[in-house]
Amino acid sequence: MSDAATSALAIAAAVRTGKMSARDVVAGALARIAQRDLALNAFTAVLGDRALADAETIDRRLAQGGDPGPLAGVPFAVKNLFDVAGVTTLAGSKINAERAPAARDATAVARLRASGAVLVGTLNMDEYAYGFTTENTHYGPTRNPHDPSRIAGGSSGGSAAAVAAGLVPLTLGTDTNGSIRVPSSLCGVFGLKPTFGRVSRAGVAPLAWSFDHVGPLARHAADLAAAFDAIAGPDPLDPACAARSASPCAGELDRAVDGLRIAVLGGHFARLAADEALQATARVARALGVGREVTLPEVHRARAAASVITACEAAAIHLENLRTRAADFDPMTRERLLAATLLPASAYVNAQRLRAWFRSRVADVFRDADVLLAPTTPWTAPAIGAPWTTRIDGVEVPTRGHLGAFTQPLSFVGLPVISVPVVTPGSLPVGVQLIGRPFEESSLLRLAARLEAERIVLSPVV
Amino acid sequence: MCPSRMSGSEPVRVTEADVDLLAAQVGLVIARERRAAVAQHLAGLLAAVRLIDEFALPETTEPALRFEP
Repeated sequence: MSDAATSALAIAAAVRTGKMSARDVVAGALARIAQRDLALNAFTAVLGDRALADAETIDRRLAQGGDPGPLAGVPFAVKNLFDVAGVTTLAGSKINAERAPAARDATAVARLRASGAVLVGTLNMDEYAYGFTTENTHYGPTRNPHDPSRIAGGSSGGSAAAVAAGLVPLTLGTDTNGSIRVPSSLCGVFGLKPTFGRVSRAGVAPLAWSFDHVGPLARHAADLAAAFDAIAGPDPLDPACAARSASPCAGELDRAVDGLRIAVLGGHFARLAADEALQATARVARALGVGREVTLPEVHRARAAASVITACEAAAIHLENLRTRAADFDPMTRERLLAATLLPASAYVNAQRLRAWFRSRVADVFRDADVLLAPTTPWTAPAIGAPWTTRIDGVEVPTRGHLGAFTQPLSFVGLPVISVPVVTPGSLPVGVQLIGRPFEESSLLRLAARLEAERIVLSPVV
Repeated sequence: MCPSRMSGSEPVRVTEADVDLLAAQVGLVIARERRAAVAQHLAGLLAAVRLIDEFALPETTEPALRFEP
């Protein structure tokens, strides 16, 4: 039987060669969830019977000489923002719990299952994905496996905690302003936010259409690549999905990275951050032989525009429920959504204009660089229920909102980013962002694999 | 309260009365006990709006909206 530390690709190889049965693998994952999740609260639903039945189907297909796919028997779970056929899509809310079960799987879920992976459950998150902490009032906070008194990050907090604790080797999350990367950083796992439009969002409840991304979280770069290959590519069901075909990345991980031009992002990305976040970035830069620093212009305005667009789009989505049943929203999101309904239209339009302008400036920087580095979060995981503000370098910042200070300006323009985990013995983990040109996830995955091979970044089970 | 009419250093101030007035425009009734928090969050959003409005974008810059007929 596989254990908590077995990688997704090792599981798939063992299942495909008959060394392990998919049923035993899935039973092992279900046992770990039963044993540990009461304390972590990563899962909101465990689909045990269905998962075992799916695993048995894979075993039968193998026994009959069939090919169940490259992720055969790999247990995975998804943020409860994804549609799962027969399961109500909670989106972290009490309101959506009243809805009928989804009729079909979200595209990304269906594609992972078609690759042989076995869905074992759905995962906790901030209500409507509008947060960075997964301190969900309705379903309780998800606890960080590295220190259960601390947040897992959000909004894909369950997705990160489940992987960090080895409950499953692979999960799906979504990232609008940092919701894959922030929890990946705080829980010490790898998280990929692909290029905007690279992975279908069909069947995923929206937070903000302009920025919503779907991506995988895992404890190994190779697992991340295999999952990305399974879910990437065009989908007519998602109007924002790119028409260009996706090139497989998993087979490219051994290609050299020496020719890549890499620089560290300075300016905004080096301010108002704790030493451990800056040191983690410096450690990765040293390992890659990077000495060059570049800056992006007007990053603080880019972040402001991302906040305004997110607020306006989220408010539009939830306006009717805010009118009729505001009391049923999570207090962690309600007042922010209510405030967002009151913004003028010009705020939204000018924020979208700034987005177009900023995209051009970022493209200018990428003329002389292939990959940029920056901290993922400004600090390690805060305590659950931490004070609303934190003082850093003499400046008072919102404890929760500031978690997205370094992720938000990048998803604003849809760049692909991997958060890689830097773990120092005796300390909480913190992530470093590897940032690429649009549709160049392959370079980032190769870099992440090399850093993992050299043990500069790693994600041990906790 | 309009952010574009305030200098960059002046904090954005939103009162509970402002919240009431604006909420009525979008058909919202915001419970009395929530107005102070909504006002605080709206002030934060308007500070972000001011950061955008203060920046002189080229007139030719169009919104990054996507629509393909």
